[in-house]
Amino acid sequence: MTDHKPPYLGFGLGLRPQHYEEILGGNPAIDWFEVISENYMIPGGQPLRILDQIRERYPVVMHGVSMSIASTAPLDTEYLVALKTLADRVEPKWISDHLCWTGVHGVNLHDLLPIPYTEEALGHVVDRVKQVQDVLGRRLTLENVSSYVTFGQSEMSEWEFVSEVAKRADCWLLFDVNNVYVSSFNHGFSTDDFLHGVPRDRIVQFHVAGHSHEESHIIDTHDHPVCPEVWDFYREAVAHFGPISTMIERDDNIPPLAEVVAELDIARQIAREVRDGAQLTAAE
Amino acid sequence: MTSLKELQESFQAGILAGDDAILGEVNDSAREERTILFGVYRNAYVLRLAEILSTDYEQVHAYLGDAGFSKLAKDYIAANPSDQRNARWFGRHLPAFARKTAPFADHPEVAEIAALEKALSDAFDGPDAAPLALEALAAIPGEDWPRLVFEPHPTAIRLTFHTNATEQWTALKAETAPPPPARLPEPQALLVWRQDFMARFRPLDAEEAMMWNEAAKGVGFGVLCEMVATFGGEDEAELRAATYLRGWIDLGLLAGCRLEADRPPSLSPAPGTAHPSAP
Repeated sequence: MTDHKPPYLGFGLGLRPQHYEEILGGNPAIDWFEVISENYMIPGGQPLRILDQIRERYPVVMHGVSMSIASTAPLDTEYLVALKTLADRVEPKWISDHLCWTGVHGVNLHDLLPIPYTEEALGHVVDRVKQVQDVLGRRLTLENVSSYVTFGQSEMSEWEFVSEVAKRADCWLLFDVNNVYVSSFNHGFSTDDFLHGVPRDRIVQFHVAGHSHEESHIIDTHDHPVCPEVWDFYREAVAHFGPISTMIERDDNIPPLAEVVAELDIARQIAREVRDGAQLTAAE
Repeated sequence: MTSLKELQESFQAGILAGDDAILGEVNDSAREERTILFGVYRNAYVLRLAEILSTDYEQVHAYLGDAGFSKLAKDYIAANPSDQRNARWFGRHLPAFARKTAPFADHPEVAEIAALEKALSDAFDGPDAAPLALEALAAIPGEDWPRLVFEPHPTAIRLTFHTNATEQWTALKAETAPPPPARLPEPQALLVWRQDFMARFRPLDAEEAMMWNEAAKGVGFGVLCEMVATFGGEDEAELRAATYLRGWIDLGLLAGCRLEADRPPSLSPAPGTAHPSAP
């Protein structure tokens, strides 16, 4: 793959039907949108028309939830062709999905399921990412998922696994700040180890989201505002990686657009503070 | 070491069938036991799919209430592991499931409300096609009209209901109390389709339903007029057929028309030879 690293887009939101009218009616200060690919992998009608209208006004990236890149079931060619067809229509800045599997034997569990961090899984995933990139004709962007269990057979850390996939398959990474935080709490690793353990030049996007705290573990529900701890980690991530396209992910209990835009402003403010702080340090 | 394939099969069986073998492969965390942690996946599976069904079948949920809908959803989820990448189609078998599965089978209006909601969803994001314009039809010479065949809009779906489910759906949609379920004296024909990006439905009387069914099969307008005459009487039969047709055009129910002779040669009998099924 010879394509260059995708451009920095600024601060974006996940496109949700609840906000269609307000976005198209008001041109709010949102730099770009991430769309769930599957929501638009439909024959026709209003959703695709709105997507076209959004695309005329904003840069768009496509984010899938069912590629099942780590599954041992055969790659679903029909799905990949449909994804490519949508990409040809949308011309997204990049296409992402999750470093996970969603089912085997023709079943889709509609969840982002964890992988054992073994050489076997690594080789399997790398082969599949290469095949997908051949079909799409571009690099894929893979996101680290939140997980609730670890496997006894794992041979390396999650960040080592993620990094090796990116290097060997030559793909991009979507660094989900919340997912790193959730998994670090659930599995007792340091968010710093993850942050410093993945290759800086591969990161093209941040996700920031809320979650549900169950005391002994955290569930990645995307139905709450971003909590202070995740904002703190976001600050560290911006300081470490530099300007990375940032997006607030809200999938449930979706508030009015103004509330998510206000959260996006927090991200903007943090990025500004980090940049100004860095300039101050450089000036000293 | 368990292979990746075996591990994923075991993980999936742990979620779908409650099989505990996977617990031998996963770890306790410092704060929690593996049963609870793996349980997050088990719970999320049912909760997520039930939520998808509730979104897709909002009025069935309103009609059955939380407890009733939860039973329907759980029974459906247990009987229908998703075979779809896209959650949009996970619930597509729900009307048929409700129609044939106890206790919902004893309440046929449940399956019919579900069928209406499914058809409306299917019409909402069904294939795009420009509706047939009246001007296109007006350009066709009168002598060609008997050979005119019509193409239904690709979102059009024909349903036949035996209960007052449409009245119930309408009340539920308006967040008012639905009328009690009732079996109709005669089956009710319905058309569901998309017009101006909105999914709609309308009832058809028996004669219009018959003409629609035949038109959708590709029967030409001349024969349709004869069928209308046979069905409802010869008096003004052509006018009735033309009125139905005009209504379909005004409502965007048709996507095109052509003359029968325009068929690809392989579909038409050769000139001078009788079609095997011709009377």
